[in-house]
Amino acid sequence: MSGAGPLSPTVPASHPEKRGLLRMTPSLRPGEADMAAVLEKKKPKVIVCDGNEAAAWGVSLANVDMVAVYPITPQSSLVEYVAKFVADGRLKADIVDVEGEHSVLSVLQGGMLAGARTYTATCGPGLAFMFEPYLRTPGLRMPMVMSIVTRDTLSPQSVWGGHQDAMSVREAGWIQLYCETVQEVLDTVVMAYRIAEHHDVMLPVNVCHDGNYLSYGASRVELPEQADVDAFLGAKDVNWHVALDPTRPMGVDPLTGGAGGPGPRMFVKYRKGQCRGMQNALAVIEEAHAEWNRHVGRWHAPLIEPYRMEDARFALVTLGSMTGAAKDAVDEARGAGVSVGLVKVKTYRPFPLKAIAAALAPVEAVGVIDRSVDFGFDCGPLYKDVLGALAGLPRRIPARSFIGGLAGADITVGHVQRVIGEVAELAASGTPGPTAWLNERD
Amino acid sequence: MTAYSTLRFDAARCTGCGDCMTACAVAKTGSDDPGRSRLRVLPGNTPGTWEAAVCRQCGDPRCVSFCPAAALAKDPETGTVEWDGAKCVNCLLCTVGCAYAGIAFDAAAGHVAKCDHCGGNPACAAACGEGALEWMTTARIYNEVGQDEDLFVPGLAGCQGCNTEIVMRHAMRRIGPDCVLATPPGCVPGMGSVGYNGMTGTKVPVFHPLLTNAASMLAGVRRAHKRQGRDVLAVALAGDGGASDVGFQSLSGAAERGEEILFIVIDNEGYMNTGMQRSSCTPFGAWTSTTPVGERGRGKTQDAKNLPLIMVMHECDYVATASTAFMEDFYAKLDRAIAAARHGFAYLHVYSPCTTGWRFPAEKNIEVARRAVECNFVTLWEFTPEAGLRFTRDPDRPRPLADYLSALGKFRHLGADQVGHLERHLAENVKRLRGLAREPAAA
Repeated sequence: MSGAGPLSPTVPASHPEKRGLLRMTPSLRPGEADMAAVLEKKKPKVIVCDGNEAAAWGVSLANVDMVAVYPITPQSSLVEYVAKFVADGRLKADIVDVEGEHSVLSVLQGGMLAGARTYTATCGPGLAFMFEPYLRTPGLRMPMVMSIVTRDTLSPQSVWGGHQDAMSVREAGWIQLYCETVQEVLDTVVMAYRIAEHHDVMLPVNVCHDGNYLSYGASRVELPEQADVDAFLGAKDVNWHVALDPTRPMGVDPLTGGAGGPGPRMFVKYRKGQCRGMQNALAVIEEAHAEWNRHVGRWHAPLIEPYRMEDARFALVTLGSMTGAAKDAVDEARGAGVSVGLVKVKTYRPFPLKAIAAALAPVEAVGVIDRSVDFGFDCGPLYKDVLGALAGLPRRIPARSFIGGLAGADITVGHVQRVIGEVAELAASGTPGPTAWLNERD
Repeated sequence: MTAYSTLRFDAARCTGCGDCMTACAVAKTGSDDPGRSRLRVLPGNTPGTWEAAVCRQCGDPRCVSFCPAAALAKDPETGTVEWDGAKCVNCLLCTVGCAYAGIAFDAAAGHVAKCDHCGGNPACAAACGEGALEWMTTARIYNEVGQDEDLFVPGLAGCQGCNTEIVMRHAMRRIGPDCVLATPPGCVPGMGSVGYNGMTGTKVPVFHPLLTNAASMLAGVRRAHKRQGRDVLAVALAGDGGASDVGFQSLSGAAERGEEILFIVIDNEGYMNTGMQRSSCTPFGAWTSTTPVGERGRGKTQDAKNLPLIMVMHECDYVATASTAFMEDFYAKLDRAIAAARHGFAYLHVYSPCTTGWRFPAEKNIEVARRAVECNFVTLWEFTPEAGLRFTRDPDRPRPLADYLSALGKFRHLGADQVGHLERHLAENVKRLRGLAREPAAA
């Protein structure tokens, strides 16, 4: 694990839940006295809700000014919860019921440029329809937060979960954070504002939570105190750098570039600045998670979470809610004497290259499980990214791509057990097989 | 040089009925003897034609320079040459100076008399049932708004004679600086209003929305300022393509929600900035670069989408059409649209002849704009949910459509069947509007 913050790669290995989506995030890193004091002081309010409601709670706690909504499965109940919170007066935001996702993001861009903290959520075809303003958001350095309640893309026609939608926009310049649990959804939505609005970052954030498994999976959730969240987030300051405001008249987004004059170097300056913001985000994400722990008393791994990686001979790499089942499988394998560990990726963009390389450096083989497809390379996209991290290591570590959980399919402990078996063989042979499709014979 | 309002005489419409002369005599002398009129309609050189002899309110009036008593003077405010009876010595030298028979001895009155435009509401024009005499008020508005700050930089890179630049500058003069301006891709930002490489062409907050989302972004801008207790006008200067085609969804959505926006469409009937391609506002038969004329192609094969009427069906707080050839009408509508945009969706559709894309000489721009209205190719009206639809210029007795079509290269290829189609379509359009109108046209 790289970077700052009270980090620990180890969490208790007792997880009675049968399904990963119901797994609880450990509240505290063990053995830390001041955290115990925090726990003692705070008696958190506990609710039972699904991931969509948890996201809405996060929006409410973040004191968002403007929400634009348009329904789409499996996101719909999320915006319904937000609308209800506004109707009940809990969230004092402008809610704009627009005519489509394209306008969802467009309304919020206008609001942000006039000083509003903004939120929305979408998925699948909605994200595809939103693509035009979506591409523009990071270039204008708009610190917005949008949940992607991940859904597989058409076609075949499908309304069920899968990471293909978020993965299809992974190079658009948004920060992308993937949640493992319902609690993490709530906490990450709030943390996303601190990350997005950090002056060293100023980029939009996608908080991704798995359609079906997290969107509808109910769980015990602790609600943070509003005062703690307020102290964590600080004052809103979203349009200090670019604004549509008659007291600060400016031309926003004039034509920039061209073959001559000052255009080329200006364009490079903006692009490089965007890249710098993304790289700055790595430290800011770590800082935000550490500060969340300090204010609220709950810890989530910020970039990656190494799980039982101590002395691991080989490792799995996971993303999102599948991690729950994978941790169970790892626990069972460890119980059977198999030396396997797991690295969960939370921050997918910017890609935490160094952290992943450091975590995987000691192992003999890696199996990467994706919930989406990279069509150009006939593998999973996370797998391809992990190859990039491994390429920088002095020793070649063989890796194999596993694809599962497409279009709502489950990734079970059984599937992961199969992956563990294949990776154990890979560690012995050193020769990766072709991409394996986990649900092919379900 | 300052321009002024004036009387316009259209010989082609005059029937020689003399109603104008009677009205003038009544207004100026109390007598209904047309012989006492200060305007004379006389037989023209060709039998059956008519000419008008009336004071031209010359820029450098000979009557004034001939007058030894300083009884005649040109009013710098109105442009009218005024006669002062207290100073007149009845020498009649003025009548010698005038080459147009604009000032003459009125025997019954015992002194010279001339047209004074009835203080800006001439009785002759009001009495003309043929539309041959019209009071053209365009000019005065320039005197009124000339002092308003131009909110664009000088030297915007529009084509020579660009009408869109006229619309932009006038609209923003009236709107003033306390606004946020959206200029979706097209001629408006293309000529440099948002700017290039770190420089801007506008003195107010201005931005490039996408071609698709001007109305949505402005909705967010307006709402966010309103949350902060501020009344910042949200304004779009959009082209017809971005409004009627790819931007229509966001426009319709914002109108349906009653977002507080002033949405001005500058309709040059196509994607003129991108190379003169067809839009859904391009009229039937028109040449564009994607509806070219060739062996088989005869221009666009569909009628234009009637975007302003579609906006009426959204029950917007204000909808109007306007033309730069009728600037007082344009300004009056602009004022009402600005007021409406503080409580709901205001939509203003301004027709903007494009010298480059429509193929006509740059200096003919306002003339083309005027003919479009006179031929009913463009109708001028406004709508509010309370008052309904109202013509602001009577569409009765239009000029022949050929007067308009012949002025434009983009219609040069039209066959008689295509002209017939256009004539029927325009007549249908007027009929449809008349069916919606709740009250007769303004005088």
